[in-house]
Amino acid sequence: MACEMACGYHRDDGFALLSSCIMVTRGREKKDYYAVVVKEEENLVIARPEGLEIRKLRSTGEDDKGREKEDASAKPLLLREPCDLCSDRKEGPLCLQFCPVNAIYME
Amino acid sequence: MEYLASNKIAIIDLANSKITEEKLDEDLVRERMGGVGITQTLYERFKDEEPIVLGSGLLTGTLVPASALGMITAKSPLTGKLSHAPLTLYGGMELKYSGFDYMVIKGNAPKPVYLWIHDGIADINDASEVWGKDVWTSTDLIRESLGDLLIQVLGIGKAGESESDVAQVLINYWPSGDRWGFGKVFGLKKLKLVALRGMTLLEISDPSGFVGKCKELLLEVKKGPSAGKGGIGDLSAALGEDIQKWLEPIVHSHRSCFNTPYPTNTFVFLEEEPKRLEESKKNEPGFLITDLYALIGFKKLGLSASEACAVLRECARYGVDAMAVSELSQKSGKKKLEEIKKSFSTLKGSLESIGKGRFSPWAPNLGLSPAEWERRQAVAYIFGIHPIFIQLSPELSEERLIELANIGTGLEFTSETLEEVISDITK
Repeated sequence: MACEMACGYHRDDGFALLSSCIMVTRGREKKDYYAVVVKEEENLVIARPEGLEIRKLRSTGEDDKGREKEDASAKPLLLREPCDLCSDRKEGPLCLQFCPVNAIYME
Repeated sequence: MEYLASNKIAIIDLANSKITEEKLDEDLVRERMGGVGITQTLYERFKDEEPIVLGSGLLTGTLVPASALGMITAKSPLTGKLSHAPLTLYGGMELKYSGFDYMVIKGNAPKPVYLWIHDGIADINDASEVWGKDVWTSTDLIRESLGDLLIQVLGIGKAGESESDVAQVLINYWPSGDRWGFGKVFGLKKLKLVALRGMTLLEISDPSGFVGKCKELLLEVKKGPSAGKGGIGDLSAALGEDIQKWLEPIVHSHRSCFNTPYPTNTFVFLEEEPKRLEESKKNEPGFLITDLYALIGFKKLGLSASEACAVLRECARYGVDAMAVSELSQKSGKKKLEEIKKSFSTLKGSLESIGKGRFSPWAPNLGLSPAEWERRQAVAYIFGIHPIFIQLSPELSEERLIELANIGTGLEFTSETLEEVISDITK
């Protein structure tokens, strides 16, 4: 969530979640199941506890069936600008710098 | 109030379904800073109408480490005193972005209602769909009905509806730090829940200066005394109540509140393999422990970790303060899961665990003197900092928080201002 706020700041110079291109899906809190999703130019990078998935935008693969409702909390991400890795910041992506629990990293 | 605020206060009268809006006066902020400094002022202004005041701190929902806190201010049915309960997890953050800095809820509705607060709009809606439902069911129903899984719900269960003294206001499915019986105040008002969601933009007076200072502070916090620790087990060790071995076999993960470097919550799996990484196929496989004292209380009754967490889950569904349940169960000699569950609707008796001050004793005292604990709580509730984490992190000093508030808001708070507000809210 701090990563979303940091990304929102990168876009808007203020605090908001509306324009962030990174998102923590929180729609399944009763199951304690969360993922971090990043929108790239052509892909969605989805980091789940069990592993990483890179999904082409607009894919309608078999794997997507039945997940639509569960992933609804991440849908607004599709309308946002893709990640630019904070290219105008010499210290790199703000989301990494502000994650309070060091949950994300870049390779 | 131009920066780090939505600049709006909602005055919601449930008796006649009327909502008015006021601007957040900058002079009020200069004098009372934020958080409980202002919720208390608003409470006093409307106290003849038994208000509940919801609010957030000056720095809530920002990149300041642990800026997770919102608060409920009202008169406690248990103590008869003005008291403050913490809203952590994502409740405080969502409140900050709902488009209102503060909400005064006064009067009693003639029939059950809920509030839908989103993007600067406040609505009073009919709650007949959710009245009579337990906390978990009503949270699911309201999110489905309003079409957004990320809505944060401050709600009551059957305990609140039946006006039990130990009814609690919960956050979504999980216990809050409400030790004051505010669930009863919701019930008396026929207010089932407050649904919060917001996409407000908070502007910053000096954006790069503020964010730069936040980053410096976070780097220091990550090297501080709380580094490398986490979860309800580590917290219990700090109290001299080691529950690690007892709880560990059912721990799934430790969970932080918004932007908080130390996870003060622990999720346990009760009907699922605890080490499972994939999404559970069960809809409700476990429970998020947010209340350390309640957990310890059930352990002291002789329950296994699974049984204790199962009781905590039942308390949450029913909307009753689990700490009160554990204390009253101990006094009445109830030690079995089923008999404890059956006692929810008839719970009565005096409680020692409710504390004597204004701030909820839900936040354990991690080695401070009572006066130091109260002062740290006051600072947390003014600035919007997590009330447990603020004790773990000396880096979040009063001077640093004042400096951040000044850079973020463009106002000129001083340590004298803070002293005056603390003195007033703790007297």
